[in-house]
Amino acid sequence: MSFPESQLEVAEPIDPQITATGLVAGQSPTRLAYNRFRRDRLSMISFWIVVFYFAAGIVSPILVKVGVSKPYGQDQKLLNIDLGGIPSGSWGGTSWHHLLGVEPRVGTDFLSRLSYGITFSLTIAICATVVAVVIGVVLGIISGFSGGYVDAVIGRFIDMTLSFPQTLMLLALSTTGVALFAKILPGEATDPIPNGVYEVLVLGLFGWPSIARLIRGQVLSIREREFIDAARLSGASRGRIYFKEILPNLWAPVLVQFTLIMPAYVSAEAALAFLGVGIPPPTPTLGNILGDSVNFSGSDFSYFLYPALLLAIIVVSFNLLGDGLRDALDPKGDR
Amino acid sequence: MASYRTKALAVATAAALAATLAACGGGSSNANSNTKGGGTLTYYVRSAYEHTDPQRSYLGVEMTNFSRTVYRGLVAFPISSDPTVATTPVPDLATTTGTSTNNAKTWSYTIKNGVKWQDGKAITCEDFKYGASRVFATDVITGGPNYILTYLDIPTDAKTGLPAYDGPYKKDGQALFDKAITCSGNTITYHFKKPWPDFPEAIAALHMMDPYRADKDQGDKSNYQIFSDGPYELQGGTWSKETGGTFVRNPNYSASTDSPNVRKALPNEIIFKVGQTSEQITDQLVADAGPNKGAVTQQSIPSSKFSQVLGPVASRTVSVTSPYVDYLVLNFNRLKNLKVRQAIAMSTDDTAWVAAGGGPKAYKPATDIVSPLVKGYQANLFPGGSGNPAQAKTLLQSAGVKMPYPLTYTYPSTPTADAQARVLQSAWQAAGFKVTLQGVANSDVYYTNIQQPNQAADLIWAGWGADWPSAITVTAPLFDSRPNLTSKSNGQDYGAYKSDPFNALVDKAQNSSSLTDQTTFLQQADQLLAKDVAYIPLDIPIFYMIHGSEVLNYTNNAASNGYPDLGPIDVASSVK
Repeated sequence: MSFPESQLEVAEPIDPQITATGLVAGQSPTRLAYNRFRRDRLSMISFWIVVFYFAAGIVSPILVKVGVSKPYGQDQKLLNIDLGGIPSGSWGGTSWHHLLGVEPRVGTDFLSRLSYGITFSLTIAICATVVAVVIGVVLGIISGFSGGYVDAVIGRFIDMTLSFPQTLMLLALSTTGVALFAKILPGEATDPIPNGVYEVLVLGLFGWPSIARLIRGQVLSIREREFIDAARLSGASRGRIYFKEILPNLWAPVLVQFTLIMPAYVSAEAALAFLGVGIPPPTPTLGNILGDSVNFSGSDFSYFLYPALLLAIIVVSFNLLGDGLRDALDPKGDR
Repeated sequence: MASYRTKALAVATAAALAATLAACGGGSSNANSNTKGGGTLTYYVRSAYEHTDPQRSYLGVEMTNFSRTVYRGLVAFPISSDPTVATTPVPDLATTTGTSTNNAKTWSYTIKNGVKWQDGKAITCEDFKYGASRVFATDVITGGPNYILTYLDIPTDAKTGLPAYDGPYKKDGQALFDKAITCSGNTITYHFKKPWPDFPEAIAALHMMDPYRADKDQGDKSNYQIFSDGPYELQGGTWSKETGGTFVRNPNYSASTDSPNVRKALPNEIIFKVGQTSEQITDQLVADAGPNKGAVTQQSIPSSKFSQVLGPVASRTVSVTSPYVDYLVLNFNRLKNLKVRQAIAMSTDDTAWVAAGGGPKAYKPATDIVSPLVKGYQANLFPGGSGNPAQAKTLLQSAGVKMPYPLTYTYPSTPTADAQARVLQSAWQAAGFKVTLQGVANSDVYYTNIQQPNQAADLIWAGWGADWPSAITVTAPLFDSRPNLTSKSNGQDYGAYKSDPFNALVDKAQNSSSLTDQTTFLQQADQLLAKDVAYIPLDIPIFYMIHGSEVLNYTNNAASNGYPDLGPIDVASSVK
């Protein structure tokens, strides 16, 4: 999806004001990137889809609070109990009251459950991504800037983490891990919280190495630049150089990494729910809704279709958004 | 967890069974009558068995499967479609079904000549005695039936209620045990302190009195070892908890010491495959390809697949009412307030529970922990139905506890069980409880977990079936605190229920000379449990099972606890 350079240079101006004054050359790099991004139709579509998901994720807990959305409601009268509790009526019992039908066995409004599931899935994915990005960026900067044995030690640590069988560990330690968090977290930490914290930490703690490597590469070139030398000569502390001098130059790759890792975590959550770790029912997540609905793929197809579509769309959109951002921010970057 | 089943079989199966009984040796079939038998049987199991040690296994399905293949006892239940015949013991390793004297307090058996272990050594009276002695090692041999702890004529410690003998490992009180079970030549004699008129039924159903070779015993390490004396032996000798095992022919088994009414041993090989979900198993059996043509399973068809087993596939399904009752145990270490327990019972929505579990094809609602097939059943012990959360809330408010009252419900997690937990949760929450669901995904340790004395759940799901068709094998083993509660385990009394009046009624029942008196005392005991709300009955599962098209002589009968009976079963030789 990258634009040929020539096209970029002769591109017609976007901002009418700039056109009027003829100051095309005066655009900031951010502005340029923004314009490039806006002209990429696929990226824009995925951007709005992602915005829609976030909006759904934010709005649905509010709707649950005010009682419009009922992800734990039940109405078995809508089901055909003789056939094993499959919704009566076509398309999973779709009606004006239940736009996406109802859940088999229980009769919960499926739209409520799906939208609440988006909230939980996105929360887990975002938290895990933040953990991974923060660790990755900090270690990447230290590693790249320090060089020498620090770099070597971090490098080997990255290798070790990458070679660790993370799914296996997630499964093996889930019972102990969740029990531990249930104990150490304050208050009556029950149900989704210990499981969620465990999932976020394990996903995050195993996700940072690729980011750290990428950041290290960037830092290796940044540290040779003049402003770093200037900062060093003027006696700036290491911390200042790391976070005030280097970090602001890294936001583009960090942003791109963020959008590329997050969909991976959304699908990881689904996979883990399938394997029986992760957030346990009845709390809905896209993963455990899908995990249950797979069993109904032959008997209540729409129950299986909607979560599968939602999951596929969000993963694809995030990936496209990440690609688009990378193209926009770093058009010369090789891929 | 063994024994009885009610409904007549599907007509086709029963007819096929009759044909097989006539033409023993295999070859007759319900699908294609010209097919030669002796193929490979594949047996799908969802969750891992917690024990395969004969003295420790207590799963109805495990006991019947192993009875038919690797573990022979003194007596056994015969293959029959008639529930009465199928639960009347016939001789197996013994020459008769036993002779009792002294008002059924003494039982003796003579062991057949020529019966051998898989290594060719003869099965002796000492092996039987050693097997029974292992049950007394309650710190090592956990999980299995413990009737003989209270029955065998060994004095009990007044404080702990445990027998003065503590098993073959520590050997305290060995002399007492040697007096209670005596060997003279090939004849073994059991001395009980209470009359045990249905002792043959007990040892036909359970493996607790099975022989065990002392030189093969490694205590807890023997948990997954199978040392066979039946027609098959386990390849490798150790059962794999995660994957199962393969039963191959035992060269030292002699069919002449056995009866074709008990074991025909027709498949050449039986492969147990552990670990897939009921949904995956059902999909494979519906597809019916390759080895799955010769496959059976102990899992019922999950409700999500009901609409896929209609039409031609329906001829490969069988539906029988199981001998089990699923129930909720209330944890008495935590729920000490009677009004709280009553409020839980009152707000339990049994109708929604059954509907969420798959409706009438999957369950019948239950109102007593005793199955309707067992003498002593009381139809109106619990109200059942959809409960009354509003009234329960009033009751809970009058109990003087902080509301919402926190409850934790633990159960083996499956997609269906999760949905069922949700409907219970919502009814309880409506009554003023705050319910945390604790689904245990790793269901192979479920029963071991809920037997922990410090179990932190308030409500515990459990399932139970009469070990033999008598209520004395239901309420007594489940709620008599004396043989169950030890420092390491709650036994089968998962909720640590402890009531002296209840125990006294059990004693009366166990000492009654007439079955009518016994039943009366047991019914009174059950009423006491209902009054204390020691449990809440939920459902009677229906076994709705599917099998491969090349499986011959397929039958689910009373002798096999409603599971596919491995005694007469065969698989067409084309399935390897």
